[in-house]
Amino acid sequence: MIVASLISYPRAIVLGLVQGVAEPFPISSLGHAVILPRVLGWNIHQNDPYFVAFLVATHLATALVLFAFFRRDWVRIIKGIGRSLRDRGIDPNDSDATLGWLLVIGTIPAGILGLLLEDKLRSVFASASSAAAFLIANGLLLLGAEQLRRRAPQTEADDDVRIARQVGWAQAFIVGAAQALALIPGFSRAGATMGGSLLVGLSNRDAARFAFLLATPIIGAAALLKLPDLLGSEGNGVRGPALAASFCAAATSYLAVRFLMRFFETRTLVPFALYCLGAGVGTSIYLAVS
Amino acid sequence: MAGRTDLGATMLEPMRSDRLLVVAAGLAGIVLIVLAIVYWVEPAGSLPSFFPGYQAHSTHVHVKHGLAALLVGLACLVFVWFRTGPKRSPSAG
Repeated sequence: MIVASLISYPRAIVLGLVQGVAEPFPISSLGHAVILPRVLGWNIHQNDPYFVAFLVATHLATALVLFAFFRRDWVRIIKGIGRSLRDRGIDPNDSDATLGWLLVIGTIPAGILGLLLEDKLRSVFASASSAAAFLIANGLLLLGAEQLRRRAPQTEADDDVRIARQVGWAQAFIVGAAQALALIPGFSRAGATMGGSLLVGLSNRDAARFAFLLATPIIGAAALLKLPDLLGSEGNGVRGPALAASFCAAATSYLAVRFLMRFFETRTLVPFALYCLGAGVGTSIYLAVS
Repeated sequence: MAGRTDLGATMLEPMRSDRLLVVAAGLAGIVLIVLAIVYWVEPAGSLPSFFPGYQAHSTHVHVKHGLAALLVGLACLVFVWFRTGPKRSPSAG
């Protein structure tokens, strides 16, 4: 009966709610998943097999929400990729096809780095103190991206047309590879891609849109790849709480994405940078004195 | 005559390097997909010793290494598919 108390329902709900917000927000969901249990005194460690299995469920829920939120875009993008494969070329005027291949090019380095480095990075940077330090680094990264950003051209074009025109193939590759930073607890996937997109010359809104589209296949594939952990023996005792957490994560993810798409119409990454700096410094001090 | 030869050389050079690139990408794509299959069917201890992930006597199967190889292999083949498609004139829509 020990397995029944691995993660209680109230804790699962808290973790699910936080994961749902922290994944789309550029504040590192993995960092929060490491820091929160430590600060609250819960006996949960990031590399515990049952906790990894638990996180699979919340990530899958987040990926499904992201996919559902941009479902019409995904249909257009997939059709665009299909058209380009049929025609054996990418029509420069076909923004859906261009955006689709930008996403493919951005996903490949992140996918490969994730597949090859995830376990190693997770085990090396598993402590709450390192997550707090990297949260500070994430805040600096967001501030730096806002400082160094290029002015986004003002056009009347559709969101996807703007992204397809502004982002080049090499830039998509680099922005995509930057997602691998999120393998280190404390660094944010959304932060890395939004920051990279700002440097390329996208507006905050377009950067957020590109980041969410880029994140969906990676988060979804990573969760599907680990789904056997949740369904197998490592998921014993956490499947119920994981399901509850997934619903919570799905609800807060949806609200967070909706909020962010409006927020970035007029605002910048600076508030999130300040939050990361504050949370990172605060956690570091707390861990040092406790 | 010399001018004509130079012109021919400069025109042929990009074509030759492009064709080389396509052939190399095609070969790399096929090799990587074969590599992915090897990773999936052979445990780490039975892999050739120069393979990344080789561990003597290990029975662990490197599913992720195989997926990574498959991804890059498919990317190479897609690149070949596009590069060997019909040429479009720059003015065409």
